[in-house]
Amino acid sequence: MTEDERIFEFDAEESIAGGEFDLEPAPLPPVEEPALIRAQTAYGEDKGSRRNSSVRVRSRIVNTIIHIVLAVLCTVWILPFVGILLESFRCESPGLAGYLIPKQWGFDNYVRLFTETQFPRWFLQTFLMGLVTAVVQTAFVLAVSYALSRHRFRGRRLLMNLMLIFGMFPGFLTLILLRTLMQDWGLADANAPFGLAIIYCASSGMGYYIAKGFFDTIPRSLDEAARVDGASRMQIFFKLILPLSKPIIIYTVLMAFMAPWGDFVMARFMANNNDAGYNVAAGLQWLISETKVDTNYTTFCAGGVVVALPITILFMCLQKYYVAGVTGGAVKG
Amino acid sequence: MATVTLTNVKKIYGKSTVAVHDFNLEIADKEFIVFVGPSGCGKSTTLRMIAGLEEISEGTIEIDGRVVNDLQPKDRDIAMVFQNYALYPNLTVFENMAFPLRLKKTPARLSQDEIYRRVTEAAETLGITDYLLRRPRELSGGQRQRVAIGRAMVRDSKVFLMDEPLSNLDAKLRNQMRAEIILLRKKINTTFIYVTHDQTEAMTLGDRIVVMKDGFIRQVGTPTEVFDMPEDLFVAEFIGAPKMNTFRTRLDCDEEGYFVTTCGVRMRVDGEKGELLKARETQPQDIILGVRPEHITLTKRSDPSAIPCSIEVTEMMGSELHLHVKAETGEGLIVRIPTVSFTAAQLAMLTAGTKIFVTFRGKVMHFFDAEEVNLLRKLPAPAEETDLPQPEEANEQQEAETAQASD
Amino acid sequence: MDKEQLSAAEYLRLRRWERLVYRISKFFTSIPGRTKSFFLKLKNALGSFFRALWANLVEIWTTFREGSWQTRVSFLVMGFGSLAHGQIVRGLAFLLLESAFIFYMIFCGAYWLGKFGTLGTVETIQVRDPETGIMVTQYGDNSFKILLYGLITLFFIVAFLYTWRLNVKQNHIIDGILASGKKLKSNKDDLHSLVDDSFHKSLLSLPVFGIVMFTVLPIIFMILVAFTNYDATNDGRFNLFRWVGLENFGRLFSFGESGITVAFGEILAWTLIWAFFATFTNYFLGMFVAMMINKKGIKIKKVWRTLLVLTIAVPQFISLLYISNLFAENGIVNATLMSWKWIKEPIKFWGDGMLAKVMVIVINIWVGIPYLMLITTGILMNIPQDLYESARIDGANVFQQYCKITLPYMLFVTGPYLLNSFISNINNFNVIYLLTGGRPWEPAWMVNGTPAGKTSILITWLFGMTSDSGDYKTASVIGILIFAVCAILSLIVFTVMPSNRREDDYS
Repeated sequence: MTEDERIFEFDAEESIAGGEFDLEPAPLPPVEEPALIRAQTAYGEDKGSRRNSSVRVRSRIVNTIIHIVLAVLCTVWILPFVGILLESFRCESPGLAGYLIPKQWGFDNYVRLFTETQFPRWFLQTFLMGLVTAVVQTAFVLAVSYALSRHRFRGRRLLMNLMLIFGMFPGFLTLILLRTLMQDWGLADANAPFGLAIIYCASSGMGYYIAKGFFDTIPRSLDEAARVDGASRMQIFFKLILPLSKPIIIYTVLMAFMAPWGDFVMARFMANNNDAGYNVAAGLQWLISETKVDTNYTTFCAGGVVVALPITILFMCLQKYYVAGVTGGAVKG
Repeated sequence: MATVTLTNVKKIYGKSTVAVHDFNLEIADKEFIVFVGPSGCGKSTTLRMIAGLEEISEGTIEIDGRVVNDLQPKDRDIAMVFQNYALYPNLTVFENMAFPLRLKKTPARLSQDEIYRRVTEAAETLGITDYLLRRPRELSGGQRQRVAIGRAMVRDSKVFLMDEPLSNLDAKLRNQMRAEIILLRKKINTTFIYVTHDQTEAMTLGDRIVVMKDGFIRQVGTPTEVFDMPEDLFVAEFIGAPKMNTFRTRLDCDEEGYFVTTCGVRMRVDGEKGELLKARETQPQDIILGVRPEHITLTKRSDPSAIPCSIEVTEMMGSELHLHVKAETGEGLIVRIPTVSFTAAQLAMLTAGTKIFVTFRGKVMHFFDAEEVNLLRKLPAPAEETDLPQPEEANEQQEAETAQASD
Repeated sequence: MDKEQLSAAEYLRLRRWERLVYRISKFFTSIPGRTKSFFLKLKNALGSFFRALWANLVEIWTTFREGSWQTRVSFLVMGFGSLAHGQIVRGLAFLLLESAFIFYMIFCGAYWLGKFGTLGTVETIQVRDPETGIMVTQYGDNSFKILLYGLITLFFIVAFLYTWRLNVKQNHIIDGILASGKKLKSNKDDLHSLVDDSFHKSLLSLPVFGIVMFTVLPIIFMILVAFTNYDATNDGRFNLFRWVGLENFGRLFSFGESGITVAFGEILAWTLIWAFFATFTNYFLGMFVAMMINKKGIKIKKVWRTLLVLTIAVPQFISLLYISNLFAENGIVNATLMSWKWIKEPIKFWGDGMLAKVMVIVINIWVGIPYLMLITTGILMNIPQDLYESARIDGANVFQQYCKITLPYMLFVTGPYLLNSFISNINNFNVIYLLTGGRPWEPAWMVNGTPAGKTSILITWLFGMTSDSGDYKTASVIGILIFAVCAILSLIVFTVMPSNRREDDYS
């Protein structure tokens, strides 16, 4: 390389910059006294400090009012739960009472709940349904969401539209058929939990919406980079997308696990008045159906506490995932 | 380590939206080629077709003599750096760079030691050894970019694709990374295809530049060719900053030679350009005259080709001064002058409202005909004397780049 | 107002109410155009459907005419072409499907399909056993099973036709590839593509199968039930049911003895009113609470939020059943009010139609605010703060800031959510059922033994029909109508709303 040795000679005439040139300067504009500006600043400062303090007082009053309102609101929101808790400890009468604080405290209702009713069975059934649903539903939802978010295949739009349309039919109408089918297969009535678990899981792919919205936010270029790097779609799914999707996986598991605890429509329908097949919701509701409310009310409250406590604790621990999922879902529509 | 040949490549979206028209290009082994153009010109689409991320609607792409149209990206032996880095957020820097190696099964699975060796080697080259155990989100933009490059490097692939790799960085870092890419290129010595919308990057990095617009190739050439002899007005205006000044005027001829009338002033087309016009026997015609801002000089009132004008806006760039001036006949033009050639007193007087005189010489003029095509463009067969390198201008252009780099 | 398009300058010169009038008139005048374009789209869609169908038929024919002999054999023996060219995996898959289908059709399908038209002719009867002399039941046809398995058979036939078409297409592709001299995909490629390019097939197969069998099939079954007289009496097993055409729909629109028009109209109206109030009270109050909690200077934000969120965690059947009893005639609220001497006799919260409706809406606010608080909190935080800062500099007060910045932004972002929540409120079974069950009952609205009341909404009415009185045929009709209401609503909203949210904007 002899680059350093190359020498270019410049002809001064050819050189472009510099040299002699003429110019005519522009006349200077008259300088204005910025009097107005100064006056305004002074006015602003003067007035500002006084207004500031009045603003501060006002905002303090507003904030106090808001604090009070929030306190009242939260009391109203919490009151029913406090009520349930208190009534579950009431021993003097099993029916409705016109007061909140029990006259006689005790665990009688809990004892009764676990010894005289089918509650332990219901609880176990619901718990198992929750576990199965959580696993299968999560797998289905993630699979469908990923496929719809990342693959562009023929019929994709059609599939999404069909799922939307079929989602608009009232769900439990399908139970007319499904109950008869499950009865044929011996998965209804006393065995309803098995049938229910199948029904919960089977169609769960339709709830792909929130998870797909989440996958859509993961940049497509990650997939592309991985494809260039030699990963197959399956490897991308398992090695990249899933590890990045912890929040949505937790959200899906949480939702799937919680669903059987609150569902009494399907549970009651599938059990077909056979109380051995109930889940907690159908069971407890059955406990205080019109004719039984006077003898079972406090027992129902005890059941409510037993069900709500673990669910609530679980929910509160995973609250931030729930919030993320719900908010994402609402924004995505 | 490979040639890349694109033959009649076309990309059609949907039924009729054509993103790339009939793209023909032969990229030599170890060449650094840059696709440049405004957004939506099809440059990224072309790159993604080479990568296998977009389907090729028509035509064929060959890498190292093998048609790759139906091959998966991973089977094409390419590496790619993405605009937003596309680092895997859940993996550490080391794992990010090892990712392609771990997936490599042909010809044989790589051993753990081999992976370690390759990754650390690349990390050393790029100066990111200290960050190997961090995760991408703990890195700065420049570091992330290095990791992305590192991930592409470890694969030892035949072709290195880069899709606007610097556009997410801030100006200063971009200049630094640009220099590093030039160094890197010397080290890994493979075929590079680089996409950018920034003409500075294109000029500084490319062995050859492919200027694209609306899915068409407008010009392919070395940076000097593209700068000195743009094929058409679009290329002329796209390459170079500030933009080339243009005037609608007429090219005329008398016994002394060719001349144009700009801003009311008759200017001789002297020097090589005049001779070339004569050699081509160009007919007098309406043309668009182009002059780059840096080729306009200040001059004396007495200069016969002085254009009187007044300064409207001045932009002080430090090493140079951009003057937006208006000629007395109403045309606006931009003049770019190096500050080093002026005294402080002179510079102080170059303010808005000041009347100055500017001129330019025949050799810096570009002539575009009614179809906006350069009258003097390189003709297919002979006329080889036109693309002699012009040392002053190349030099000057280098200067311009450094000037830009420092702002 | 004239209906012409105003220029921007003319529009700006209008006074506020004139603008309003102008915009409203613009909206209404645009309806015919929108409707027209909707039907045009529909026409185009239909047109392209038939064109595609025709193109398919043409391709099948050309495949046969120009195909190799292997291809022609494949028209009868599916997968033969693939097998003949070494694509064992594909070929076997096709062949297996075909044999399974033929096997099914011969042994079951034909039987069910044959009875599908009549839904059974052989009645179940009681006969005296000639030997023992005891009455025994001799089962005849089962209409329910005939309907179900007939439907499944139809599903299978459609699926088979589709597979057959795929098989033909496959051969077409093979012929094309062989003609161009390229190599066919190997078995290994086929299997590998299931985890790569066709990974979506692997992912979707099981979930979609589940959806088809447990949602699509039952829904179509249910739609068919609407055209039969299937109910608790004609249960299909002991008494056959049969096709009755549009009779069930007819009853919906007749005022006579068996007509249910009045009940249906009243319940539909209340359903819509309910959905409207339930959606918008929650929306605005929830947003209000969220804004209160988010306001600068409010302390222990997290505590407020957590206390409210507690309501989401506790299953609704517990809280709502409790609240329902709270307001019972002998519940705590009445007892307390009486002990305070505010009232002399208990208020019948659930006994008076109007009061019950208000109660339901109010308690639904209790249910809904926490959700909306959560959702709106997230969105409120996303509103760029500089919008508020610039508004403050421009001199806007809190209320103006809300109207000009917060509300438009919220409505824009949550537009689709509002639609969704309106639809889910139409189907909001829990709140109504657990609080009132539809009470107070209205005897005149009794349909085939299904009671309906002042607070009944369509979905609880429907539930009563299916679960209590077994009036499946009417339930199916109501179900279809609920679907129609939801579908029409979404269609309207989606055509009126600017289509500015495309899926790929997010990706």
